[in-house]
Amino acid sequence: MNDSRVEKWLLAGPPMLFMLALFAVPGAIMLVASFRYPGEFGGLAPLNGLAQGFTLETYRFFFSDFIYTEVFIKSVAMATLTTLFCLLLAYPLALVIARSPKRDALVLLVILPFASNFLIRVYAWMILLGPQSALSEMCNAVLRWFGAHPVELLFSPFAVLVAMVYAHLPFMVLPLYANLIRHDRLLLDAAQDLGASAWQRFWRVTFPLSLPGVYSGSALVFIPALGMFVIPEILGGTKDMLIGNLIKEQFLVTRDWPFGATLAIMLTLAVMLIAWLAGKAGGRHA
Amino acid sequence: MKYLLLLLLSFSAHAEEVLYLYNWNNYISDRTIERFERQCACRVEQDYYSDNEEMLARLAAGAAGYDLIVPTGNAVESLIRQHALRPLDKSKLPNLRNIAPSFMNTWFDPGNVYSVPYAYTITLIGYNSEKIRELNLPVDSWAVIFDPRYLAKIKGRVTVLDSQRELIAAALKYLGYSANDTDEKHWDLARDVILKAKPYWAAFNASSYIRALATGDIWLVHGYSNDIFQADQDAKAAGRKFRILASLPKEGAVLALDSMVLHRSGKHPRLALSFINFMLEGENSAELTNLIGSGNPNMAAMKYILSEIADNPAVFPKDMKNLEMLRDLDYRQRRIMSRIWTEIKLR
Repeated sequence: MNDSRVEKWLLAGPPMLFMLALFAVPGAIMLVASFRYPGEFGGLAPLNGLAQGFTLETYRFFFSDFIYTEVFIKSVAMATLTTLFCLLLAYPLALVIARSPKRDALVLLVILPFASNFLIRVYAWMILLGPQSALSEMCNAVLRWFGAHPVELLFSPFAVLVAMVYAHLPFMVLPLYANLIRHDRLLLDAAQDLGASAWQRFWRVTFPLSLPGVYSGSALVFIPALGMFVIPEILGGTKDMLIGNLIKEQFLVTRDWPFGATLAIMLTLAVMLIAWLAGKAGGRHA
Repeated sequence: MKYLLLLLLSFSAHAEEVLYLYNWNNYISDRTIERFERQCACRVEQDYYSDNEEMLARLAAGAAGYDLIVPTGNAVESLIRQHALRPLDKSKLPNLRNIAPSFMNTWFDPGNVYSVPYAYTITLIGYNSEKIRELNLPVDSWAVIFDPRYLAKIKGRVTVLDSQRELIAAALKYLGYSANDTDEKHWDLARDVILKAKPYWAAFNASSYIRALATGDIWLVHGYSNDIFQADQDAKAAGRKFRILASLPKEGAVLALDSMVLHRSGKHPRLALSFINFMLEGENSAELTNLIGSGNPNMAAMKYILSEIADNPAVFPKDMKNLEMLRDLDYRQRRIMSRIWTEIKLR
């Protein structure tokens, strides 16, 4: 082995081991668990030989009722909406920050909310959206003015979406900012010299160049949003069950590890499928 | 050899000074702890859990060293069957006679080999006194939680527990079945009752309904008796014009009896036994009830309990006949109930 190869292994080894230990191994454990029987008190039933210890019953159970597929569809829809709103809000923000002389301070402000606990920030939305909050009262005053029925903001899909967008926004802003900051101003000047309007300069120069940032930001938002369970639990109403809630429930309430593992495997497959489809679609565009 | 072992044990007993207690959040008064620490010249270290599943999961994951745990009945049964508990030496528990016979010899621990009753909560109806009076709703029946006729008046101001067992049990009771009914057809009927009522509910809620009741955002809940007591205390402290009251539905309800048990991994069983005996003294036991409004199985405690709590039929029901403790389901039943719950949540 020559020096450069040793160097490469020394550099790449620890992160690879880390990934192996914390992604591949748990993934494999989960896959095995999904084919096992649940134990009486939770966990897995003891293995009595290969023939009796393994089963496809959790997968059969998953497909025996469309309801689980419905939960998936709903979760994908919620994650897609979250990603879309994050993109719409984050793009102008990232653009302004990238072009501002005070950009370092502004980026710091984007990161600042991470300084306080995530749960506390979600709970804060309970107060902000509660029926006696200024926001709710203003909203309902306007509705009354138009003769419409008052609405409840808290405990609704709306509350879940607002908090989802709020929680994931920085993950969209930062990759977009990292991309936009590298754009060469001269390109825009050149486009202007050639007669491009402000909109044309954005749509035909800035936006296509920023696509890698859009993709990575979207992935960073979409994937965690798909597995989210805290926000629907705290702010959701009577219909806001997402796939993350269902998985958590299998482990902590129903004590059905094999079915929980099956749901998690299906979620991983769904994410991989969506990533592959997005990659194909993105590949065609580029 | 045996004597040597005993000698060693008694030696280590002298060196004991810390009792490791694994308890529910806010489930013992600080003053009680202080008094015990003075009496035994030892220290009490507490760890907390907020539901049985969490406690069982942590023990299953290998948490050890807890001398004393306070699980609910079905969790006690689960721990007994896992051989995780030490049998109790009753000769060290003279105060055990203070416990009312109706709370002894339960299905989860016949003969109380492993467990001593500590306190209980009932899952019932909590409500905002003013709003319910204005709307003239009957709170003596689960109908107020499940019947659209009543719910229409109070739409969006009702929450129910985010617990499949508890909510389905309430619906089963409303339908006249046992809370422990395992007939899937009856579960489907319960699901239909819940689905009809659901459009009127604001949320499935685990604990934040305490605050929502106390601020007046929510007027009617399916909740735990001690949480409703807490909401009332908070409303009083905030000087609200309403009270938060509890009502035990006539169809019956779920009772959760928490018991003290000795975990096998604990190193101080003797100290733990003296703590159990201490907690069985009426005054100490009453302190908990006065703090959180939980039900108390201790007959000697009654005279120390604030009359406002002692006279409350939602905390100390006159008739326990309609109250049921939830039993564990096997995994197939759990899986079916979880599917019904998913349907309930999604529709």
